[in-house]
Amino acid sequence: MNWSRIFQNLNYAVSLLLFLMGLYTLAMKPNLIKKIMGLNILETSVFLFIVSIGMVDSGQAPVMAHGAAQQVVVNPIPQALILTGIVVAVSTTAVSLSLCIRIHQKYGSLDACEILGREVA
Amino acid sequence: MNWTLNLVLLTFLVGTAFAMIMLKDLLAAAVVFSAYSLIMAIMWSQLRAPDLALTEAAVGAGVTTVLFVITIFRTVRKENR
Amino acid sequence: MKKLFVILALAALGVVLLWVVGKMPEMGDSRTPDKTHVVPRYIEDGVKEAGAENLITDVILNYRGYDTMGEVAVIFSALCAVIALLDREKRGVSRSAVDASQVRSSRIVRVTVRILFPVIFLFAVYLILHGENSAGGGFQGGAVIGASIIVFTLVFTLIESTRDIPLTLRVILESLSVLTFLAVGFIGVFKGVEFLTYILPGLSPGVAGALRSQVFMMSIEIAIGVAVGAIFTSIVFAMIKEENFELEPHIPEP
Repeated sequence: MNWSRIFQNLNYAVSLLLFLMGLYTLAMKPNLIKKIMGLNILETSVFLFIVSIGMVDSGQAPVMAHGAAQQVVVNPIPQALILTGIVVAVSTTAVSLSLCIRIHQKYGSLDACEILGREVA
Repeated sequence: MNWTLNLVLLTFLVGTAFAMIMLKDLLAAAVVFSAYSLIMAIMWSQLRAPDLALTEAAVGAGVTTVLFVITIFRTVRKENR
Repeated sequence: MKKLFVILALAALGVVLLWVVGKMPEMGDSRTPDKTHVVPRYIEDGVKEAGAENLITDVILNYRGYDTMGEVAVIFSALCAVIALLDREKRGVSRSAVDASQVRSSRIVRVTVRILFPVIFLFAVYLILHGENSAGGGFQGGAVIGASIIVFTLVFTLIESTRDIPLTLRVILESLSVLTFLAVGFIGVFKGVEFLTYILPGLSPGVAGALRSQVFMMSIEIAIGVAVGAIFTSIVFAMIKEENFELEPHIPEP
């Protein structure tokens, strides 16, 4: 383990931690709304990781001013892709939450174990 | 990038995510989710991504939180276990 | 038991990934491979080739136009899925729980929203129209439009919101983005260049670089902004409306 490099890349390490927390919620919490919240944490952690890769120290935001010759800017591609990702994330959240409403109307519960009729692990 | 501010923001991110996972009251968890998105928006502006900061502030803290609150209002508020 | 197993598996995954983080190049380094291959061309020639000073707008609408068209289709299909599950609101019949309850929002909230709503909406329009030269663009402005209308709906009633933004209007606005994208993309095809190459019908490809894409990018931005705002609004309306009120909160007489 290269601890000094991990400490320099603190954003990567924290997004890794958030990823694991989201995955834990997705796997272990029986409540469906809680699972969707975990999915949102997972998504944002990946977004944070990818945008952090594109970061350049002393770089400006990727908006080129009029006539500026050599401007140091951060990498625009990850930001454009993550902009797509954020909007897709809210779409999936909306669809899964409407599914939650329908499931509650049919089964009267949002507990995954209760709906499936299984014993609690 | 301001190193101290970065550290504070990352700490708050992990803290709010942990609170969101641990809270049994789903409405409280939805409000904490709003705070999480807002901190993420500040984080984007620290990473020189103003477009992402705008989108995250409007979508994460606005639309998604409202969707969660509506769903909780129409279903159940408490998590059983 | 299962919990312990899951935590152990996640810890193993975390150790492996943390080892990878230790091997990765330092954050903020400008000489990593992801910043030395395609990106320099985008940064140097992006404004000339694609026509917008905001490089993110360049990448979204021009270099990666297919991605954005897919994304617009994804939002539209999300709306279709929500409507298939929950149905549209019916005018005059559907109410939200806020409409049904006898408790009104406090005067402070109502006055604040009434003052702030036009300002937020104006900011959203600025974001859409000025997205080529500064931070902002169709998706950002559309999200802000959606959020402002949602705040209005939560504070005032769903009945009032559906009167101001009726279903017939929203049906047109929602489908605007994909159709505009396809229409603008096919103009280039009929001129003999690739799909999603933005050129004006009167000009040959490659001439008048600024003119050829600015008009089309602006029209696509406006279409995306309006459509994203309408789609978010429709999703929230579909989720907030209820038809039957057996569980109506009963307010006792004072």
